[in-house]
Amino acid sequence: MSEMNSNNEKSDKLFEMQREQGPILEVKDLKVDFTTGNNHAVHAVRDASFNVYPGQWVAIVGESGSGKSTSAMAVLGLLPGTGHVVGGSIKLEGEEISHYTRKQYEQILGDKMGLVPQDPMSNLNPVWRIGTQVEEALKANHMDISHEKRSKLAQALAGGGVAVKSEDDETFIGSKELPELLKAAQAALNEAGVTGDGAKNKMDYFTKEWVPGSETRWRVADDLIKAGVSDDKAWQIAKQYVTGSTMTDRIAGLLEEAGLPDAATRARQYPHEFSGGMLQRALIAIGLACRPDLLIADEPTSALDVTVQKKILDHLHTLTDELGTAVLFITHDLGLAAERAQHIVVMYKGQVVESGPSLDVLQHPQHPYTKRLVAAAPSLASQRIISAKEHGENADALMEHHAKGEETLEKSEHIITVSHLTKEFKLPRKKEMFKAVDDVSFSVKRGTTLAIVGESGSGKSTVANMVLKLLKPTSGTVTYEGKDISEFEGKSLLDFRRHVQPVFQNPYGSLDPMYSIYRSIEEPLRIHKIGDKKSREQRVRELLDLVKMPQSVMQRYPNELSGGQRQRIAVARAMALNPDVIVCDEAVSALDVLVQDQVLQLLNDLQAERGLSYLFITHDLAVVRQIADEVVVMQKGKLVEHATTDEVFEHPQKQYTKDLLDAIPGGHLQLGLD
Amino acid sequence: MGKYLLRRILQMIPVVLGTTLLVYALVFALPGDPVKAMFGDKPVNQAVAAQIRAEYNLDKPFIIQYLLFLKNALTLNFGNTFAGQPVIDEIGRAFPVTIKLGLMAFVFEALFGVAFGIVSGLKKGKWYDSVILIVSLLLISVPTFVTGFLGQYFIGVKWRILPVTAGNDPGFIDLLMPAMVLGSASMAYVIRLTRSEVSSNIAEDYVRTARAKGMSNRSVIVRHVLRNSMIPVVTYLGQDLGGLMGGAMISETIFNIHGIGFLTYQSILKGESNMVVSIVTLLTLIFVVCNLVVDMLYAALDPRIRYA
Repeated sequence: MSEMNSNNEKSDKLFEMQREQGPILEVKDLKVDFTTGNNHAVHAVRDASFNVYPGQWVAIVGESGSGKSTSAMAVLGLLPGTGHVVGGSIKLEGEEISHYTRKQYEQILGDKMGLVPQDPMSNLNPVWRIGTQVEEALKANHMDISHEKRSKLAQALAGGGVAVKSEDDETFIGSKELPELLKAAQAALNEAGVTGDGAKNKMDYFTKEWVPGSETRWRVADDLIKAGVSDDKAWQIAKQYVTGSTMTDRIAGLLEEAGLPDAATRARQYPHEFSGGMLQRALIAIGLACRPDLLIADEPTSALDVTVQKKILDHLHTLTDELGTAVLFITHDLGLAAERAQHIVVMYKGQVVESGPSLDVLQHPQHPYTKRLVAAAPSLASQRIISAKEHGENADALMEHHAKGEETLEKSEHIITVSHLTKEFKLPRKKEMFKAVDDVSFSVKRGTTLAIVGESGSGKSTVANMVLKLLKPTSGTVTYEGKDISEFEGKSLLDFRRHVQPVFQNPYGSLDPMYSIYRSIEEPLRIHKIGDKKSREQRVRELLDLVKMPQSVMQRYPNELSGGQRQRIAVARAMALNPDVIVCDEAVSALDVLVQDQVLQLLNDLQAERGLSYLFITHDLAVVRQIADEVVVMQKGKLVEHATTDEVFEHPQKQYTKDLLDAIPGGHLQLGLD
Repeated sequence: MGKYLLRRILQMIPVVLGTTLLVYALVFALPGDPVKAMFGDKPVNQAVAAQIRAEYNLDKPFIIQYLLFLKNALTLNFGNTFAGQPVIDEIGRAFPVTIKLGLMAFVFEALFGVAFGIVSGLKKGKWYDSVILIVSLLLISVPTFVTGFLGQYFIGVKWRILPVTAGNDPGFIDLLMPAMVLGSASMAYVIRLTRSEVSSNIAEDYVRTARAKGMSNRSVIVRHVLRNSMIPVVTYLGQDLGGLMGGAMISETIFNIHGIGFLTYQSILKGESNMVVSIVTLLTLIFVVCNLVVDMLYAALDPRIRYA
């Protein structure tokens, strides 16, 4: 039987089962209100309906404020602040839960519904060890830590087909018995006549696969039988040595399943010792610890690098498939949603505006909002460009930015040249220096955009800071208009600052909350003593027009503006002094797709009008496609690839670049061109 | 960690030297002649006065006096009072009283401060939250001598619940009111600190994550809200303990408690430099040790803090 067949059979069975059992989660006409200070009700969710079937991935897509997270939190009974369900019904496995009290919710949270939250950095308590926080989940639901619990779906699917497994067969391997188990396995292999390299390979496989607290008795037996050990012997070994795991084993097993290497040691560490990706894996382990039938993943990877995002989602996918967990997946990226989920629900201003099978929604969006989302999603945009080119059509119309041809690039003069730039940092308690940037050379040509791409930690922001002369290079030079910037000081430095301006990643942090918008934009003019009070005010008005913001915002403060609006203010401030070069350090990474699109368009228009040059730092290759003429790919401080944008996208040279391209969500979708 | 501890202990030396020198200079600069004061209204016998000056090194320049004091202090000889009593004996009598008073005030402040703070922080906006807030604001703004006199008048004189003053060798009951008066302002601070910590921690993302695990409300509050809120509160309490040991001067005077504060006040009036400097040295040591303990506690409570 080919694999294809068995897969089909499995999915047929799945559909049948889903029809039979009905949805695991049924949300109908859900209404959620928030009460403001003066008893005014804000309708965050209005008449939202969607279903999740067992084993299915359903994505809710929408911009921030669309009510997608609020709907999810309403299902979990974890609405923040004054939020409360005012109408409609939420049914979990056919039972109405919208009126549940906190006590009743405690009963179903964890073991029936799990949560993987959005921001990994703030969702683990800094004072408890990672392992302890996993343990809390197990203890709160009185989980049996020595036996695997199978989901309803897995039980139903296993039904007649697979040999019915008794409770005992789901016993976990314990770390204490593992060495003896491996010894017995070795002996059994010898006995079965498997020797030499074959036996070694098998043993390596066992050592890798048999994770205490995660692998079960029947799997051990299964592995042994597949390796050539006789049925009886295999089961005898499995029964003798697989006798259940301890709490520590189970915690490590869960973390290992979530993709955390060396989990037993990691479990004893604290959250601040983990990277964002590792924290997210720990949160996945917690969410799945009690084997819920429904997992709610609220933008689980939005805070992470694309490559890490892909790894984690791939892992979550395999894991939930294996366990038969249904997933309600909240995201703002339509491409990502279409790639991961079978069913998409689009939310806009608290309402469900469209819902249907993923590819249908993507290829034939009905609602105008969905059409805008499809148009704005960077992942889909770059996908369209690629497919248009493949079809031999003119892709220019699809690009916001008309990339300069190689010839133009050759001819234009270099406004910023970076040569053999190196930056070393001293690490605490370590002798050798850490090379954050290692011998990097490139140049930005006048009127063009050069993008530096790489994961976090690749040194791209360090390069930006050195170009801005905010950080001193260990060696190498940066020249601006042919002059070495390290020699600038006093007046010439002020002049350099005037011509090279930054726009930073976090629009919440880069504007002083105590300064009005007017003061923020006017500040560079004042520092550089340009014009008098009146002409400065005139200039601020012009700048606000330029970034398409109403002049009425002048007297307002940053906290009254949205992220996208703030980023426009940051751009206006950068433009105040008529610079030649703008260094954008992840300038759009923190923004929603639609807002991201607007800011990118703004940057493009400004370049077309004023001939600006951009140094554009980002981890998102999809954005690069839309804006850059040239791309520099950095990895671990080194420059690994440097070419025109088309070259990089069509003929990536290095494996690393291919991985980055591969990680663009929605990259594998077959898009209809209509 | 060991290295850090050693460094901190070595740092205490300049701190103690600096404070003693400063206090010695201040007492030296006080107007009036302590020897003259000893004769009271009687005429001063110059020969006797000169003898006394020589005995207490009062005839020597300031810096020599200070160095002689230091030299003696190193051998734990803190000299005698003008009345001929060894300084160390006087302190030995007064100090246990202050320790008793300080600890009682500390327990009062910690217990009630944290308890009211938690209640207030968990039930923000309820009527008892408002009452707790107003009372704590009152306690912070009214000076100790006012609360002291009010307590004496109502609790002591009018209703006769507790003794008005403590006097010599006071017991638990005698010290109850002084301890409450002494700890009241700090308690109010603890209430406010606990309240704001609890109410901001309860909105943290990790608290929601904990709830999503299906943990009971009680364990979520204890393990994720209170545990985290206690970090700054414990730090504040630790620092305050040092303050309570030395800051009891007003309360001890009001309630006539013969503790360290009372003794310091009397000694300053009499110009007993040896006594004043010895007490201040002791208090400085207590304060510095308390700070060190707080820093250690901080590291123990918050795994993100590591000293190297």
